[in-house]
Amino acid sequence: MTIKIWKFFQREQLFECYQCARCTGSCPAMEVAPALGPRETILICLNQGHDRVVEDEKLWLCCTCNVCEDRCPQEIPICDLLVALRNSAARRGNIPIRLGMAIELLAKTGRSMIVHQLDEMRAHHGLAPLPPAPVDEVRDILKKTGLDEVIEI
Amino acid sequence: MPRFHDHTTDLPEEVFQLKNIDESSVSPGPSNDLRIGVYVCHCGKNIGGTVRCEEVAEYASTLPGVVLSSDSLYTCSEPGQEQIKSDIREHGLNRVVVASCTPRLHEPTFRAACESAGLNPYLLEMANIREHCSWVHLHDKDAATEKAKDLVEMAVGRATRLTPQFELTVPVNRQAVVIGGGVAGIQAALDMADAGYKVYLIEKSGSIGGRMAQIDKTFPTMDCSICILAPKMSEVGRHPNITLLTLSEIREVSGHIGNFKLKVLKKARYVTNECTACGDCIEACPQLAPDEFNAGLSIRRAVYLPFAQAVPSTFMIDMDLCLNSAGIVACDRCFQACAHKCINFADKDQWLEIEAGTVVVATGVDVYDPTALTELGYGRFPNVITTLEFERLINAGGPSSGELIRPSDRRRPQKVAFLQCIGSRSKRSSPYCSNVCCMNTIKDALLIKEHWPDTEIYVFYIDIRAFGKGFEDLFRRARGEGVTFIRGIPGEIIEDIATDNLTLLGENTLLGRHYRYTMDMVVLSVGIRPRKDSEMIQRLFNLSTDTDGFYMEAHPKLRPVDTTTGGVFLAGAAEGAKDIKDSVTQASAAASRANILMSRGEVKVPAITSRIDPEKCTACGLCARVCPYHAIQGGKELGYYQVVEAACQGCGACVPECRFGAIDQTHFTEEQITVQIDHALTRDPNHKIVAFACNWCSYAGADFAGVSRIQYPHNVRIIRTMCSARVDPAWIERAFLKGAGAVLVSGCHPADCHYNNANQNTARRVEKFWKRMEKLGINKDRLRLAWVSAAEGAQFARVIEEMERGLHKLTPESIQEDAEKLAKRSTGKSESS
Repeated sequence: MTIKIWKFFQREQLFECYQCARCTGSCPAMEVAPALGPRETILICLNQGHDRVVEDEKLWLCCTCNVCEDRCPQEIPICDLLVALRNSAARRGNIPIRLGMAIELLAKTGRSMIVHQLDEMRAHHGLAPLPPAPVDEVRDILKKTGLDEVIEI
Repeated sequence: MPRFHDHTTDLPEEVFQLKNIDESSVSPGPSNDLRIGVYVCHCGKNIGGTVRCEEVAEYASTLPGVVLSSDSLYTCSEPGQEQIKSDIREHGLNRVVVASCTPRLHEPTFRAACESAGLNPYLLEMANIREHCSWVHLHDKDAATEKAKDLVEMAVGRATRLTPQFELTVPVNRQAVVIGGGVAGIQAALDMADAGYKVYLIEKSGSIGGRMAQIDKTFPTMDCSICILAPKMSEVGRHPNITLLTLSEIREVSGHIGNFKLKVLKKARYVTNECTACGDCIEACPQLAPDEFNAGLSIRRAVYLPFAQAVPSTFMIDMDLCLNSAGIVACDRCFQACAHKCINFADKDQWLEIEAGTVVVATGVDVYDPTALTELGYGRFPNVITTLEFERLINAGGPSSGELIRPSDRRRPQKVAFLQCIGSRSKRSSPYCSNVCCMNTIKDALLIKEHWPDTEIYVFYIDIRAFGKGFEDLFRRARGEGVTFIRGIPGEIIEDIATDNLTLLGENTLLGRHYRYTMDMVVLSVGIRPRKDSEMIQRLFNLSTDTDGFYMEAHPKLRPVDTTTGGVFLAGAAEGAKDIKDSVTQASAAASRANILMSRGEVKVPAITSRIDPEKCTACGLCARVCPYHAIQGGKELGYYQVVEAACQGCGACVPECRFGAIDQTHFTEEQITVQIDHALTRDPNHKIVAFACNWCSYAGADFAGVSRIQYPHNVRIIRTMCSARVDPAWIERAFLKGAGAVLVSGCHPADCHYNNANQNTARRVEKFWKRMEKLGINKDRLRLAWVSAAEGAQFARVIEEMERGLHKLTPESIQEDAEKLAKRSTGKSESS
């Protein structure tokens, strides 16, 4: 199942971009990883169509810190674009394995990381074990967000 | 017995009364001796591509009074005009209707054609089927054609009621005022003074020279800026026809084209004209402040000369800084130091009154302050400076005597970066391109290379705009000298605390790679923006501003230095970002336009003034109270009021105020407009919006929507008045009675009114009408008041779209019901009164 990206991000906003690259220049993800910079993302959407981005796994390297949006001279809501693109990517099955695993864990245990080792550490420091996570509640929330349509939980 | 009331308070219900429209004047068809010629213009494909002009012309021929109707490719062309002239002579036409572009463009053309064929120019009427029709309904040919028919029918209807008018001639005072002593103001003043007219050059600061005096070299020729400006400045200083008023500001303006009266506040200089600028006083002065001329990079005293070449070459005292600011002489060191005893602490501000026939506005610009862009660190990192600061830094007369040093340690930087488009082309600052920064940076880069060739220079840009004569050559030279151009503005600047060096993080978009450059100094190429106080001159002279805040020209192509206020002209960057050459060109153009007025010595004012019928006038004086120009005089003693025609500007605000129908506005009579309303609503009135638009802002805004091809619903019919204050509530009622779905009253933004805030009357009258609708249980949304400026084409389209959506909620029955409610009220009232 696919979604309409331009429902969540006004396509006209893309035309505001004149490729000054202030966004990519400010991007912390670009500093450390070969991510798809915001400028390049917009340029690909404009010149080659957003499908090219949606199929690219590098889309997931953005950490949605919002700095690009903050510094964009044209006030393009870049993070909205990235979130919309990722939604589409996830629905098409372009979702990194590790992220899929994290979601699965969240749905099963109510936590996004494995914590039983943590309990030992807490006991060592004289702390009470963590209370049980509200698994059903978390799962309900995940379902309401429509995540079950994207990934098996 | 008529009752009088204070117009500022709300009327009690029983005296709410609208003028009764004399049905006999508007209902019967035109008399037999009318011979109307209709000309439908194709304007090439501009109109003909959307509107079926032949069909419109054919329809026009069926209208009563029309004896001749034709369509032509270009009516404004020489053959088109000749056709009109010969038709007037051969067919004895006594009214001419041209359906083409906006009357704001070609009305004078066609009026002249009529006049040369012996027809009074006021017997011409235009239907705007280009800006208000074909251009805004590009994709709906049927609807556009139907609308064009309606617009032509309205124009023909109005033409039947036109009467010949004769324009009044007023003398033009042969003195001019130039506001602003930058290079544009200097050039305009010199041109007019050389032509033999007396010129007052009014400058706010202590010396003329403006921004150009601050710049080191000019592009693309690399001339020394002050070297070419200083001779012109001193010429102003000694020209017998120029009176130079520095430290002066205009505070009040009255009058009109040819006869302005200005009140000028000339602030005290505290130093007399005998000053020889020896500078002995400087040493004596104990008070220090940042030197504005050097962009704050050096220090001046409280007694100072703005800069070495200043004209007048007279020192001045900054009284805010001087120890004697409280009016008591606490320190007289400068007085003691002055050999000629030129210091005068008792100097006072003066009020001057100046009469002038023409005015040139050359108020210049400010530069963008990049402090708000925190990621660049301007204001926090000493080695991040602006271009204006850089200009002073490498100027031989600047704080470092022309040595290239960086502020933090006063060492010569080895690596210099220029960042383009700071404060330009951005929604975070100014959305427009500032025009001069690209070339200014290239020039600065070359200057560094010229003196210190081993300096590494990096220019970070988005686009290099080298569009002018000799610009591309300069760009090529800079590349040849080894200046590195990198496409991609840094996202962030980081300062190394130990060395004060700056690290630039960004992306080279052409390589698609991240970069990290360490620089010794960063120059932000800041954009230019309208002066902070530009609003003051705008208010005083009723100028319009564009969306960016620059003063707006009367027509962007054909009247680029005129303003919508007659006799006021624009020069220099106050009209829009421009370089020195363009400023000088425009200043000479403005001076030349002003010279035309002054050399003729008289000017014709349009015959659109109000007239009062003394028979009907009861001398209540309500009209005199709303007149923004005090042009209505008279009184109870005289038994009536009358209009002083030379003072009347033709806004028409007084007409709706009169409840006895004693006033009417020439060429915008009650009868003419009522006929237009009726004709707009002959077919399918329920789906139509009648829009009243003022000539200066809203009608121009609708024109602008057309020029920008902004598409909006086709069911609006625009009726032009000079000011929105001319809109009579009786017209609104008339439109609703005739079944109009909605009515729009639109004018200039409050305080931007072309007629001294006459539009506050518009708001008052519309609000009163709303109250009435509310009381009668009529949906208030059907009457809308919108402020639309001449630059807000998109806003106009939005208003029409919203109103069109509102129409969907109405049914023919509800409209009929509302009309009956309104009708009952008015007949009931007229019986009781």
